[in-house]
Amino acid sequence: MADPHEPRSPFAPWDRRELPGLFTVEESARRVGHYAWIEMRLFEALGGWVATVPELDVKTMLGRHCYHHAWHAELWVKRLPELREMRPERLVKAPNADLEAFVAAMTEPEAPELTIEKLVGVYRVLLPRKIGAYTYHLAATSRITDAPTMRSLGFILEDETTDWREGEMVLQSLIQTDDEVQRAARRQAELETLMNRAGGIAGPGSLGQPSPHDLPAKDSRVGAA
Amino acid sequence: MRKIFPAEDLARDGRFRRARMEDRFEDPRTKLAPPERRARKLTPERPDAAHAARQMMHGIFVGEIQALEGAGRTVWDFDDDEAPFALKLDMARQCWDEARHTEISVKLGEHMGTEIGEFAETTFLYQASCNPDPVLRLTGVNRALEGLAIDVFNTMREFGEACGDPVLTFCEDWMLADEVTHVKMGSDWLRRLTEQDPERRERALEFQRVVDKLFSFRGFRGEGEENPIQLARTFRRMAGFDDTEIDEIAEASKEDVAAAG
Repeated sequence: MADPHEPRSPFAPWDRRELPGLFTVEESARRVGHYAWIEMRLFEALGGWVATVPELDVKTMLGRHCYHHAWHAELWVKRLPELREMRPERLVKAPNADLEAFVAAMTEPEAPELTIEKLVGVYRVLLPRKIGAYTYHLAATSRITDAPTMRSLGFILEDETTDWREGEMVLQSLIQTDDEVQRAARRQAELETLMNRAGGIAGPGSLGQPSPHDLPAKDSRVGAA
Repeated sequence: MRKIFPAEDLARDGRFRRARMEDRFEDPRTKLAPPERRARKLTPERPDAAHAARQMMHGIFVGEIQALEGAGRTVWDFDDDEAPFALKLDMARQCWDEARHTEISVKLGEHMGTEIGEFAETTFLYQASCNPDPVLRLTGVNRALEGLAIDVFNTMREFGEACGDPVLTFCEDWMLADEVTHVKMGSDWLRRLTEQDPERRERALEFQRVVDKLFSFRGFRGEGEENPIQLARTFRRMAGFDDTEIDEIAEASKEDVAAAG
């Protein structure tokens, strides 16, 4: 056995973590507040939809996923005071009005024959965007100073990818005709347009790069006006 | 998607058949049956035990779907200023639990020889979860209906033990643990949300008594040999009921049996 009194490095030889990260405390808190907001809106919508879908497997899946996103919201709300935000409600908000418009459009379908439209919004538009933003945060933040956020991101990403896969498989099993393929594609395009305007779940910069909409000359809406 | 979703719009696939509560209550086959032919405590000795157990399991199954739908609607129907975030988290957790119970009930139904749609569904359970006041809704659903679920699961668990059916006993015991948690949630939220508002608490408890009375209708639930569902005092105490409340339910049941003749 090695001499217990011999000095050792505080980091194991294979531990390659570095101190620098791209986010300040404030930037991490801002993003976490937006994450909490979108998780809240999502778990509420999934809960509300349970009564509106006739397919039993979809009903139980929505009930299960509703809790996953509620738990994610809880993790994010609890993280905010640790990031020096003593009034978490101040930061638990949408990054912009475009994301609010996206959520309003995503949660709009109610009729029992609209299960495809409901699921496309969640599993083909929102969850991929969440996975992208969370993965970017995980890659960009300091692996030492922001470790508590990273730990939550790890749990949440595990849920998100598992739930996305399950939702996508259910969608593939529901989409059986050419018309249904078109319905799903139209719905995805409508919602992706709104999400693109929002710049992602944390607004422009959700994936690190400036959003094209930050550059007025390239903004199609400005050109159209 | 609108707030407050009516029971008549609950989405179901083609296997389900819906019955009205009033039709069930007024069904002459039960209403006019002589006392010796009315349903009694569920035991393996009852000549119709297998059929009655299958029917009860189907009732549990549709009840679990409605409990899932009701918890989900509580998550959606109320803004943050009407229902605290922590309450919604509890309801989201309940969604997951009820989703599991739905899955368990489908499998138990197959195990017992019934299938989806063999018996009709009434939506009274869900109707109680449409109350626009979150406190009344929580009290009606999490204390009255989930309290009934404690009684039902304990009855089925004991029936499984008496029949020597380890699968039924095992599953009912797990679901019973969840239901005690749900009732406790209801008891805790009732206390927290009405701490400064005794009048609202009384309204909520009155709503609970109305729902409880409906489920003790004609002695469906009680403590005697004549009651198919047995009141589970020990588990109710664990969930936050006091003895006075449990006595009230038992008494209401006795009065209903006496009134029915």
